[in-house]
Amino acid sequence: MLFNSFEFMLLFLPITLVVYFLLLRKHLTIAARSWLLFASLFFYSWWDIKYLPLILGSILFNYTIGGLLAEYDASAKKPVSKKSIFLAGIIANIALLCWFKYMDFFIGTTNGLLGTQLPLLKIVLPLGISFFTITQIAFLVDAYEGLVEERNLLNYALFVTFFPHLLAGPILHHSEMMPQFERLRNKVLNWKNLYLGLTLFFLGLFKKVILADTFSAWASAGFDTTQPLTLIPAWLTSLSYTFQLYFDFSGYSDMALGVGWMFNISLPINFNSPYKATGMIDFWKRWHITLTNFVTTYLYTPILRAFGSITFTNSLVAIFLAMLISGFWHGAGWNFIVWGGMHGAGLVVNHYWKKKKHKMPAWLGWLITFNFVNISFVFFRARSLEGAGQILGGMAGMNGIMLHRSLGKFTWLQDMGITFGKWLDAIKGNDETWVMAIVALIIVAFLKNSMEIISRVRPSWGWLVLLLVASFWSFLDMSKVSEFLYFQF
Amino acid sequence: MLTLEELEPIFRQVFDDEAIILQRETTSDDIDEWDSLTHMNLVVALELRFKIKFALGELQKLRNVGEMLDLINRKLVK
Repeated sequence: MLFNSFEFMLLFLPITLVVYFLLLRKHLTIAARSWLLFASLFFYSWWDIKYLPLILGSILFNYTIGGLLAEYDASAKKPVSKKSIFLAGIIANIALLCWFKYMDFFIGTTNGLLGTQLPLLKIVLPLGISFFTITQIAFLVDAYEGLVEERNLLNYALFVTFFPHLLAGPILHHSEMMPQFERLRNKVLNWKNLYLGLTLFFLGLFKKVILADTFSAWASAGFDTTQPLTLIPAWLTSLSYTFQLYFDFSGYSDMALGVGWMFNISLPINFNSPYKATGMIDFWKRWHITLTNFVTTYLYTPILRAFGSITFTNSLVAIFLAMLISGFWHGAGWNFIVWGGMHGAGLVVNHYWKKKKHKMPAWLGWLITFNFVNISFVFFRARSLEGAGQILGGMAGMNGIMLHRSLGKFTWLQDMGITFGKWLDAIKGNDETWVMAIVALIIVAFLKNSMEIISRVRPSWGWLVLLLVASFWSFLDMSKVSEFLYFQF
Repeated sequence: MLTLEELEPIFRQVFDDEAIILQRETTSDDIDEWDSLTHMNLVVALELRFKIKFALGELQKLRNVGEMLDLINRKLVK
């Protein structure tokens, strides 16, 4: 079920909320939590019920392994060591992810390298598997290191499946979620949270339906076209995707946080105006923050510790490797590995620069960072390296420059080899395309983000009118089904 | 009980800044040099100095000085 669908907003969410708080009012807290779990599993099964056993199996398996690790008695003579249980658990999770996500990539790469003709398996990626696998890997690591104290199966299952975050994050940590399901003050209907949650939800809906979906049309046309793009449509294609991705993913995160608040559950913040970043380190403190935290804690640190000594060079290598893996986690393709590698390299350069105490004006740092990120997203979006190369070639002016007909009267432009005509037809664009790109640039670079806006919201008529207008506008545009980009990861 | 004053020299050395004054509310956002890279240097310096070991899942909590102090004190008691 999509957040941006009528069945979610008008049926699923209200029914889930009402039953939840009715059960709580009767002090049936376990029933209320079970209801939330049932609702989350229903939400998950809405697409395809055949993946329900998969997620349930994954939860039971990890819960059991986590329990074995947490209660392991080192003094008793056990046939299996704690470390073997831990490694078996981690390997099983990675194997599950490899099977569903990476098999065809490995087969394709093997065919390419060895010239074999192994058939592809064409396995469908179950929704959310990348997310529920890594949150549970973190749980196993913590159980192994003795950090897991709360071990209630219902709370655990709810932590993994709670529907606002299940499909695309924010990436949760059990230690910040499971106590919330246990605590008492979560259990009373809180009108302020409901109001703020709804406001944040509709802010997110607006970002998704009005902004992201508008850019989506131009980005898709540009990336899918076979004709070579000239300079300006090529840039507008990449910028459209860069804006689409941000409004889509941060809109989704806003909606997830908003829904969480309605249930008095607070999910971690995932975005903090990433396109205002003035450096790559800054960017990753602002973009997909929960992933940055996960990668830092569970990838970068173990890699660095495995090196034995913490030197500057080792740290940089560890950062690069961690980003490479993080890129591959996003998708099974060389373009994702290149994307991760670019960000790893960007971070390495930034850290080196910082170590040398070089200075750079903030505007120049922003310009370099934004363009670097924009170019990296070409690899992120393209279906292959060749596809990315075509867009980048166009952006470099290798397919020439075409401008709007009205500029044809300037002969000095013609003398420079510029042609004139239907300049944006290749990306199904019109004047709205470049105007929207400028508007979006102003929004992301200068305006307050949704978290800053929500902290100023007070229950007033003015806000209510604004909220109704934004939500009504979004409703009108919601006729088409449009999935969130991060569902594919 | 470990105090803020005892932590300060370690911070000053790791971040190469003699002007650092710690408060319980200080976080990684307040010290410019404190990023994911120097964070590990800090963690290792603390581990060596107090002969303790941090679990991976504890490292994020250490981005806040107050929580860091409490966590180290709990470990020192054990």
